[in-house]
Amino acid sequence: MRNSRREFVVGVAGLGAGEIISGWSLFPKYQHDRRPKRSRVAILNLNAYSEKIGEMLDRGLTLFPLDVRNKAVVLKPNLVDYAPGQAINTHHLLVVAAAESFRRLGAKSVCVAEGPGHQRDTQLVLEESGYERWLREQRIRFLDLNRDHLRRIRLEANYSGMKYLWLPRTMLEAEFLVSMPKMKTHHWSGVTLSMKNMFGTVPGIRYGWPKNILHWRGIQESILDICATVPVHFVIADGIVAMEGNGPLQGSPRSLGKIVLADDPVAADATCVRLMGLEPRRIRYIYESAKFLGNSATRIIDQVGEPLVRPQTSFQLVPAWSHLRT
Amino acid sequence: MALSDSVPATPSRLKGYEWLIGFSGKEANWFWKWKFRTTDRKVRFDPDQYGWPWFPGTVSWVVPTSFSILALKQAPCTCGLFEPIRLRLERGTKMLLDRACPSGGWNAGNGVVYGAPLAPHPDDTAVALLALTAQKDLPLVRQSLRYLEGTASRLRAPASLAWAVLALAAHQRPVNSLQSRLSAFAELRHIEDTGTLAAVCLALECRGSLSMLGIHS
Repeated sequence: MRNSRREFVVGVAGLGAGEIISGWSLFPKYQHDRRPKRSRVAILNLNAYSEKIGEMLDRGLTLFPLDVRNKAVVLKPNLVDYAPGQAINTHHLLVVAAAESFRRLGAKSVCVAEGPGHQRDTQLVLEESGYERWLREQRIRFLDLNRDHLRRIRLEANYSGMKYLWLPRTMLEAEFLVSMPKMKTHHWSGVTLSMKNMFGTVPGIRYGWPKNILHWRGIQESILDICATVPVHFVIADGIVAMEGNGPLQGSPRSLGKIVLADDPVAADATCVRLMGLEPRRIRYIYESAKFLGNSATRIIDQVGEPLVRPQTSFQLVPAWSHLRT
Repeated sequence: MALSDSVPATPSRLKGYEWLIGFSGKEANWFWKWKFRTTDRKVRFDPDQYGWPWFPGTVSWVVPTSFSILALKQAPCTCGLFEPIRLRLERGTKMLLDRACPSGGWNAGNGVVYGAPLAPHPDDTAVALLALTAQKDLPLVRQSLRYLEGTASRLRAPASLAWAVLALAAHQRPVNSLQSRLSAFAELRHIEDTGTLAAVCLALECRGSLSMLGIHS
């Protein structure tokens, strides 16, 4: 009896130590289980950025029972930096097409919002990337999330230990938030997709450039806390030309020819990861977010549009993330 | 810096200097220094050379280090903090030189990641060059000035151009044509961000602004 009790105590202590070492508790670190019963993901095929993109997106959006009538829609692209010939940013044609589609669907307003993490001069990124001209021509408002009005918000999950963050009012008050990532591998987080894209909501004016606090508190953990607090309602991921290798800035362009739409960011990211030839369950934030934010398992994702086909050659990764390959 | 000419503000300024001297990037701690030197070598940098972070509990970056150097350089000789200020200025300056991009210039502070060089940014380069006026003869500083001169003439963003004007003027480069371009930007009237507006005002009144930053030609 004494032995079994000792074994029990030692076992529990061992488990606790293991959890402490791995940084993940046995107890839930989230406040609400927001998972839908089923999620819907649409894969659209498009081999190049062209005028067809708008028509394709309109058709893709009809695959979802969306109602954005009289809602303020915020499009959050991945607009990081600019280097000629590199697939760093969500392509401006896709963002403009999305704005037009949501206007046609009856949105009260549509704006594009981003807070670049490396470049302090957001206007410079807009100019160099071509966004400035396109947004002006289409009369689409841009909001610099690095310098928006802020509110101190209690985070709705506690993976990072931050508990509170100052976040832009635009994101907290968005009635329909669309994350529009560029599909990329990432040297610090494995991949950067619709959920990592939300790092752009953390204001540089409060946390600096880069938003280094998120790295020190854990990238995977910070993704979970931010996405639990700022809900993403829809995803339009740019995988027409994606990035592999040493992303998010210095990787190589990879023609994938896909746009991924989803009503659940977890399902979107899991699907994008599969399209990259990687295993979603090996990415900590996807594995963990499937417990409370959305669905990652194919059996509870309704796949519409084109079929999900894994590539013959997985995306290249830096050595630290090579274990993500299937 | 804004309080540098205000005598009544001297006690507050002294507190500010003391705070700056005691505040540093996380790599100043022996444990993180050891980690960056042994197990975490993905970003190329020398953890012995540290400056100032944007946010407590994070590592040093180029812009906060540059502004801290500019502020500490304006400490009055009588403040009694001469030696610690000298040490932090020396270390901060070395940190800036260490974090430069291989092609010259600076970005936020990562010159090389996973062996691949990253590109410089004009505004980060300009702010670093303002902090390095005393090092103007170093090849790296001259190379960075060439990068900024080449880039500034093409800039269409007011904030970056304004900082470029200030940095080039601080290094005695001609800036009249750049100032004319800056003042001709149609969107100046629509700038909502006070940081950009302030930088533009400083750049258009260069001599007084540099004096305020403690830079005297």
